[in-house]
Amino acid sequence: MAGKAAPTLDVVVLGVSHRTAPVALREKLAIPPEQMDATLLELKTLPGVREIALLNTCNRVELYAVTSDADTALRAMSVDLARRAGMLEAEIEPYLYTRLEREGIKHLFRVAASLDSLVVGEPQILGQVKTAFDMAARLGTAGRVLNGFLQGASRAARLVRSKTEIARNPVSVSSVAVEVAHNYFGDFNGKRVLVVGAGKMSDLAARALRARGATLTVTNRTRARAEELAARFEADVHDWEDLAGALAKSDIVIASTGAQRPVLTHEIMTRVQRARRGRVIFLIDIAMPRDVEPSVRALRDVYVADLDDLQELAADHLKGRQSEATKGEEIVEAEVARFLQTWNGQQLGPVVTAMRTHVIGLAHTEAEKLLAGLAQLPEKDRNTIAASFDAFAKKVLHLPQMALKKDAGEALSLVDAVRKLFDLQSADPLPADEAQLDDPARVTTTPGTGEHS
Amino acid sequence: MSTLTALEIGAYALASLLYLGFLVGLRDKPGRIVLSLAVLLHLFDIGARCVHGTNPISSTPEAMSFIAFLLAAGYVLGSLRYGLASAGAFAAPAALVLLLLARVVPAESGAPTMGTLGYTHILLATVGVAVFFIAAVLAVVYLFQDRQLRRKQYARVTSRGTPLDTLDRLAARCVSVGFPIFTVAIVTGAMWIARLGVLHGTAALRPEYLLAFVTWVAFAVLLIARLGGGWRGRRAAWLTLGGFGGTVLVLIVYFLRHAA
Repeated sequence: MAGKAAPTLDVVVLGVSHRTAPVALREKLAIPPEQMDATLLELKTLPGVREIALLNTCNRVELYAVTSDADTALRAMSVDLARRAGMLEAEIEPYLYTRLEREGIKHLFRVAASLDSLVVGEPQILGQVKTAFDMAARLGTAGRVLNGFLQGASRAARLVRSKTEIARNPVSVSSVAVEVAHNYFGDFNGKRVLVVGAGKMSDLAARALRARGATLTVTNRTRARAEELAARFEADVHDWEDLAGALAKSDIVIASTGAQRPVLTHEIMTRVQRARRGRVIFLIDIAMPRDVEPSVRALRDVYVADLDDLQELAADHLKGRQSEATKGEEIVEAEVARFLQTWNGQQLGPVVTAMRTHVIGLAHTEAEKLLAGLAQLPEKDRNTIAASFDAFAKKVLHLPQMALKKDAGEALSLVDAVRKLFDLQSADPLPADEAQLDDPARVTTTPGTGEHS
Repeated sequence: MSTLTALEIGAYALASLLYLGFLVGLRDKPGRIVLSLAVLLHLFDIGARCVHGTNPISSTPEAMSFIAFLLAAGYVLGSLRYGLASAGAFAAPAALVLLLLARVVPAESGAPTMGTLGYTHILLATVGVAVFFIAAVLAVVYLFQDRQLRRKQYARVTSRGTPLDTLDRLAARCVSVGFPIFTVAIVTGAMWIARLGVLHGTAALRPEYLLAFVTWVAFAVLLIARLGGGWRGRRAAWLTLGGFGGTVLVLIVYFLRHAA
């Protein structure tokens, strides 16, 4: 029981990310979704691995493991990753990074809080981390330890999100477009949005506007494609031939056709402007090449934002996020410390119990051995001797117990020290080491050699 | 200058600074609180003056102070419902300048005998000007934001702007409220002048009467163009500013004549 009770914090993280590896390599290392289950189960069987989870996103492939032997496990994991990618370990090694113990935990916290993301503050990563760890838990490759880490990481991520402005200003082109439209054109409730062309870029913007109460209309050169898109957005379809008519009825236009020449020409927009009689219209041009003729910008009450404008704003926001990330790092640092404190506190209970059972047990055994040879002593003296052994054992235990309770935060090394000192993992005694800890109590004996004291 | 007046001028000045700070990145809440405080102080000040027998329209300076009050109070009330923070950067300094002018310039010496007609005219004209003032502030913000959008300075004021649509609608509402008030003010004004003319034999046609009429026509055209011709947005904003400019001119001419 003593051997399994208290898992150590032998955490290792091994992986590649956008920071260390080119996309070509990340692609090779990425595990296809349909192979995730099998891969995880196989990884669990690697030597030295006790718990393992696999985080696989487009920007990173990472293994989070709890090991009984970090070196063996790391080596086995990197060989395995290379083999799956059809490469040699030496080929991927320059791109791999490893994080051990506290650094490993901190890495997970940073990843979950989106501080390590390509787009700092992007919201998807926490979900991806959760999914990865949940999958490991479901397959039984992750247990109590990794689960505990996930809780800590989620908490840190939530704190970073709520206490910094890291995710306040959008940084993707489509959400920047929505934001600009919102700031200058107000509430989307009752606003009419026209999606011109069925380009992929318009997808997100249209969805976001729809979610915020706008009415969508889709128009496209090929009607079938427009209808397909309209079905997805719960939008109406407008005839492509009557583009001007559709524009006249809209407040916001998202243009993303694949046309080589501008679709929203000066001529069309002049007509539209006349029909709108001064109501403003906002053209979001996210097509490349552009859909809005440059001279349209000069028209009164017509506003245009093209890819360049939006990307510039997105870059600005990104800069803002990076300065907020510094605050995020501080929060993560504090959370890691807090987590370790709590975690070690939780580990303390079982360790202390095991330690007491072990030492008091030894005292009893020794007392019984001694008393077996002293059968002639009166009952009273025999009891005194037994009580003295018991008191001695408890006094020996007193100091380490106090130290553990006091410094639970720093207890990582202490817990290990005590475990080794009293040999709670296996049964073989380590007499020499024990004397050290006993020293303050001026005890010169060890349980193993107590007979001749 | 009374302590109350000094305090209220200080509060307007601080609010102006805070609102200008909003344009470059500060939060808008401090400005709103200080401006509300200034409005309250101002209200007490006007009340105190009434108690001492100086009603808010008894002279040009008093009327100017009253306009500053109405402008600031109108803005504070409006910003409770709409996100008008950027307009505060115009409304608060405008109120401050008006109030300062009112406290600096002397009351006219030969104020004409008022009578009910005179009071009605001046009261309505004062309120009308205040309402047009608010419309003008909204129009300025509109044109300001229009320029930003055209110059693609989205980054400068993201999440700080007021929707153009809101500005346009509110300005239109102010004009349509102010216009009838202004109309009655002009009619009572004309009647008042006619009566004074009969009394003193000086019913000469002065240029400001014509200017007042031209201003009235400008607002009439704006309203008709808005309702009938669908004039909105930038053109409406310019016309509002034009009409308001005319109103201010009338006031200046009027004041100069009486101060002389």
